[in-house]
Amino acid sequence: MKDFVAPPQEPLRPPDTVMRLSRMGSMFPTRLAFLRTLTRFLASDGAEVRRHVWQICTEGYGHAVYCIELGGYSYSLVAVSTALDPAARTDRVIATAWDSSYVLYDGVPDAEEIARICAAAPRQEAARFTERDLVLSRANKSVRLFAHVVERLRAGEQPDQQMVQDIGYLMRTTAVYGNGKFGIADRACIDTRPGLSGPFMAEMLTVWLIRHFTHDLVEHVGQGRLDRDLKRHLGIGNSTGLGMAPFLVTHPVLLNNWMLARETALARVRAVRQLDDAARTRLMALATRAGNHLDQWHVPDPAHQARIDRLRADWHLFRAGLTPEELGRARAVDRLIERSLQHSEDLQELTVALVIEVFPDLVDGLSECMADPCGALSLPLANTEALRAVVERSFGWALAPQYEAAEACRQFWYVSAAKQEPRLGDRFAEEGAALESPLDIGRRIKALHADLPAAAVSLMRFLQDHPQHLLAAERAAMADRYPYAEIRDNLIGESCLPIDMLRCKLSFFGASKFDPKSDRWTRITLCQGAPLADELSARGDDWWLPVFGA
Amino acid sequence: MSWSRAEVLALATKAARGAGAPAAQAALFGEAAALHLGQGRAAADLAQALDHLPGGLIMDFPLQLQSLLLSAGETRTCTVEMATAGLPTLAQSYLDTLPHGCRVNAMSETSLGVTLDLTAPARSLPLVRAAECDGLMARMTELAARTFVPESDASRRAGAGAGLTDND
Repeated sequence: MKDFVAPPQEPLRPPDTVMRLSRMGSMFPTRLAFLRTLTRFLASDGAEVRRHVWQICTEGYGHAVYCIELGGYSYSLVAVSTALDPAARTDRVIATAWDSSYVLYDGVPDAEEIARICAAAPRQEAARFTERDLVLSRANKSVRLFAHVVERLRAGEQPDQQMVQDIGYLMRTTAVYGNGKFGIADRACIDTRPGLSGPFMAEMLTVWLIRHFTHDLVEHVGQGRLDRDLKRHLGIGNSTGLGMAPFLVTHPVLLNNWMLARETALARVRAVRQLDDAARTRLMALATRAGNHLDQWHVPDPAHQARIDRLRADWHLFRAGLTPEELGRARAVDRLIERSLQHSEDLQELTVALVIEVFPDLVDGLSECMADPCGALSLPLANTEALRAVVERSFGWALAPQYEAAEACRQFWYVSAAKQEPRLGDRFAEEGAALESPLDIGRRIKALHADLPAAAVSLMRFLQDHPQHLLAAERAAMADRYPYAEIRDNLIGESCLPIDMLRCKLSFFGASKFDPKSDRWTRITLCQGAPLADELSARGDDWWLPVFGA
Repeated sequence: MSWSRAEVLALATKAARGAGAPAAQAALFGEAAALHLGQGRAAADLAQALDHLPGGLIMDFPLQLQSLLLSAGETRTCTVEMATAGLPTLAQSYLDTLPHGCRVNAMSETSLGVTLDLTAPARSLPLVRAAECDGLMARMTELAARTFVPESDASRRAGAGAGLTDND
């Protein structure tokens, strides 16, 4: 066995810089995004998608089953398409009916299993599932685009290119449930299987297969074939709300591993001393592509569109400095990152994603370090002095706010009785703060710090007197081993924008075209530009920030 | 009816919070409960532990775990005796959630003899779904509901930050 020698790297960016909400809310997908990792594996594994069942009427209702062999295992997507009253079409979790519903199944289902899933999947949270069901999902149509594409195909024409470019998907998922929800299989059942061992891989496989189904469905109803380039640009939308935000707080080791992989990738590429011709050419081409992608990114919200417009303008100026001469100088990547620091966090993070994209050999292996196979391995701190030292060294962000001030504690996280989903309330205007969820890590750290005795006592003695501080003590003990485990901002302050947490997490999925509908709800596009099922090996992995018509 | 490990973990965590446990103690109970039922151990142990709140194993054992890890931290391995508050099998389930090698050498109603080895991986336990525990799950659902906030006009309007229809 060859010894592994890690590539040289520059110092990591400090967590105090990286783990701020505003920067997390500026992130772009990189080649470490889970969808990119999945499609690389699909291509290298020679995966082929087979349509096993197609029981869909001319209006597009019925069910279909797609099978795929991956890493020596068979998986199937069971897709159920149903007629939906427009009045019931909502992307929110309060919905009880959808245009389509899906189960990723472990193996190839027989007729009895297909019948079971066809009965259960449209009921989603109201139904129970089994350990053969790996992922549960549902999606609603983009009514305008789906109807338009059908109409054009029936007329023997292709859809309007501008409309395809502007909307970018035929359906958007409104939930993709994995890991045991509603009785489906636990992640531990599949987390050692080839291709599915990384975070959210089964969910990403489901999303990619759903996109494939939406293409087949619209061609079936439209009785025509979509142009291949148009089809490739039709990704799968996603509508996401607060439900996914707490995940980053309740999974600190996972958050650390995701961020550490990304920061290590950046540190490695910054250490490249000299770009060869191919890398220079590639970097300039990708920078142009990023500019074109920004030009095609339009959202209805004026404030967010203004932010995109600023980034677009700044990027075109910034990109002008990417000349062959500049990139021919020593440490060109590091210099580029340094130069980006004069600009917005949006531009800085786009630059990070750009330079990471150029170096697959330095980066792609890090995707194997992004799971959390065994939980936190940190040991408790011995006594209150050790605890105080860690808190004062690593949690300055938590000690700074005056949490008793209204602006520092206005928001509270809770779980709604109606749907048992995370919500965010105004502490001074709404009932329920007494039932607050423990996502207020900063406030808890400060409360622990305030209760530390002047003279050192053992941790056990302290926690016996203050059992409510165990959570903060555990998080403090993780600080040295997991430096990127905490979002270093006040998550109950009135300036906390959950959309920043959503964008961070979704960028790791591979999302682009963020389209915020409020500060706690966004639409995105996944798989746009991704290889179609029959072109995995031919098109490979080159779909970072896709551009329509390129 | 069978339950996934994640379902038991989430519900047991909320149930412990609903019964009065602080957040970290509740989360540790959730992990132990999921493993406990997945190994076919007695559901009654979990109900009893919840009934003992605000005292009992759910409050005491997490601190003993901290102490155990600290003891092993000095020499990478240690052997200690741990109090079980009358629930030795549930105490073993807590130990089985540790990511390190841990062996129960002796078990009585009130104590466990435990060897922890930080240099060894945890033993691999088969993942089995929880079954025949509907009564406990119903009880935990009741307790968990104590942590939920009823809907209001404000929460319906703004709690999720989204509109009510998406016909576009």
